[in-house]
Amino acid sequence: MIDAIPLLAEINPGFWVILAGLICALLPIGSLRKAFVIAVPLIAGVLIFQLHDPTQAARLGGVLQFGPVELTTFRLDSLSLIWAYLFCLAGIINGIYGLHEKCRITDSSALIYTGAAISGVLAGDMITLFIMWELTAISSVFLIWKGGEQAYAAGIRYLAIQVLSGVMLLTGAILHAQANGGDFTFGAIGLDSPGGWLMLLAMGIKCGFPMLHMWMQDAYPKASITGTVILASFTTKFAIYALARGFAGEGILIWVGAIMAIFPIAFAIVENDLRRILSYSINSQLGFMVAGIGVGSAMALNGVAGHVFVNVLAKGLLFMSVGAVMHRVGTAKASELGGLFRSMPFSTGFALVGAMTLAATPLFAGFITKAFILTAVIEEHHYVPFVLLLLGAAGMVGFAEIKVPYSAFFGRDSGRRVKEAPWNMHLAMGIAAFICVYLAWPFGGYAQLYALMPFEMKYAYKPYTVDHVAFQLQLLFGVLFAFNLFLRWKRYRAPQRAEVLDVDWLYRRMGLNVSLWASAMWTRLSAVTRQQRNRFLGTAGRKFYQTFSPAGAASEATPSGLAAVLTAGLLFIVLMVAYIAR
Amino acid sequence: MSVETETPMETAATPNSGADIHPAAQPFLFLTRDKVRRNFLWLPLVGLIICSVLGVFHPQKHPLPYEQYIPGSWAIFGFLVFCGVGLCATTFAHFLARPESYYGEGGLPDPEDSLEASEAKGDAT
Repeated sequence: MIDAIPLLAEINPGFWVILAGLICALLPIGSLRKAFVIAVPLIAGVLIFQLHDPTQAARLGGVLQFGPVELTTFRLDSLSLIWAYLFCLAGIINGIYGLHEKCRITDSSALIYTGAAISGVLAGDMITLFIMWELTAISSVFLIWKGGEQAYAAGIRYLAIQVLSGVMLLTGAILHAQANGGDFTFGAIGLDSPGGWLMLLAMGIKCGFPMLHMWMQDAYPKASITGTVILASFTTKFAIYALARGFAGEGILIWVGAIMAIFPIAFAIVENDLRRILSYSINSQLGFMVAGIGVGSAMALNGVAGHVFVNVLAKGLLFMSVGAVMHRVGTAKASELGGLFRSMPFSTGFALVGAMTLAATPLFAGFITKAFILTAVIEEHHYVPFVLLLLGAAGMVGFAEIKVPYSAFFGRDSGRRVKEAPWNMHLAMGIAAFICVYLAWPFGGYAQLYALMPFEMKYAYKPYTVDHVAFQLQLLFGVLFAFNLFLRWKRYRAPQRAEVLDVDWLYRRMGLNVSLWASAMWTRLSAVTRQQRNRFLGTAGRKFYQTFSPAGAASEATPSGLAAVLTAGLLFIVLMVAYIAR
Repeated sequence: MSVETETPMETAATPNSGADIHPAAQPFLFLTRDKVRRNFLWLPLVGLIICSVLGVFHPQKHPLPYEQYIPGSWAIFGFLVFCGVGLCATTFAHFLARPESYYGEGGLPDPEDSLEASEAKGDAT
């Protein structure tokens, strides 16, 4: 196919998906749109497979010259390959999951969003990366707004934060390129320049660094059912790719990642909304990835790539099963649910596969990828971050991976008897669950995962050793035992209806109140000082008039030569200041 | 959105009668028995002990400093983390939890037959 149409090798495959999304917006026939939504990511995946040449370090294409700036809009190498495959796969699964939803906006924005994410990871320069960065934000906000009226404000906040992140990325990219002779190639960036720090901050917003994470928990739970599943697949993982490409080995990220892994526990334990709990769980899992990027060894980065792959599928699986519950019951609030395994046994099974994968249970893919990161961290003797990561793992197992299936499908019986999820939801969940199990299969399964990993390692890591299995199971059994003790002694905090405060309180409540207070103060101050202000403005206006009006002092018959001398003098001063400042 | 539910009040009388249970869930109904739920506690405990013994004979290749002197170290860690965080839940809730209408944007969706929501509305009025 590539030989027949050489142009295909020059164009970033993600662009085709974006184009399909734009066409989708014009297609009135629902079934045709649905075929597009599933087929186009599949075709993009096949195209990427065809374009990938394992003998080449990287395939470059779509080079554009804008004056002195050279853009490489397409670069396929071992690091971008796994993300590109993953986003195509996620696009297909999300398409199947949303088959029952007849909505033109969801279909087209999902495709554009998927295409922007694929194009972003396959971008070879920082300008293309920035454009795709912003396009993911703009296309995905429609998925949030499809969540209904209560999602409108959250969507605006999401868009504002994402666009801010994009602006910071562009500013950082320009500063970085300026410091490197105008080179906009997207490679290792580092923290040697202010541009590097700005770009790190931009990526930190998008992948949920502590204190910059709140957009995720604000927006994800308010999106439509299908929208949340789609949102959880791309934005943060795209940012993780950018971090891995630009900041691998930056030690500060180990600590940032370790803190990211633990802080969501405090929120997850109080939260009632299952989709918000899963958003906190995403944050914690992203912490593992960020810490792995900070370590920067081949093993750590392979672990990050593998964990991103597994996380999208497993977290997607949990979001899909909670979405199925929401589709049937009408809510994802834990306080309204319970005992649903009686009506939805298949959805329960899929949720358990997702939970066990994220909990790194042996025979599930998370067991392998999480071990890569943890082993890499301890091999480099980062003992304190290792303990923090382990704490994050144990905490999130207890208060997210156990809590979500337990609250929805087990626990007290809410008495709700509903239909099982539609077949398309089951199919999407089935595909994700199969891959989560297959990639951990001891007899050849995990070798497939290893084949996708981007870097060559000093030794082939063996996940199924007695010590690894025994210690991981110790952790899980320890948590499970404590959970059961809490249930028996009635110390387990039952889910309760509540709005959980997070960092967004600073602008949603405090910021709003401060601005309201300032506005009220200004109104009062304005009334008190009106006379003085009027007098001051009147005097200043008169003075200006007397000086600059046609009848003013400046317009009197001053020799034009004097004006020229004054202007030259001013110019001289400005030039001297500029020279000294330089 | 179609919500095909019966109200909890209608179904609570015969929660496990079998007629309204999905056929694939029938074999797992034993999980709802009180005896099973009470004794489920022993399963992780037995697993924990077995894995701790295994850990003594197969120590980790990359242990933390002094970890090799603590048998069942990861089990103890997992247990303590859950207990520590679990016991702080009320404190966390005190600082972080507010009424659902706190931001005034309308909360997340409730089911049409939500008893809790109607109770909450009743309290408010």
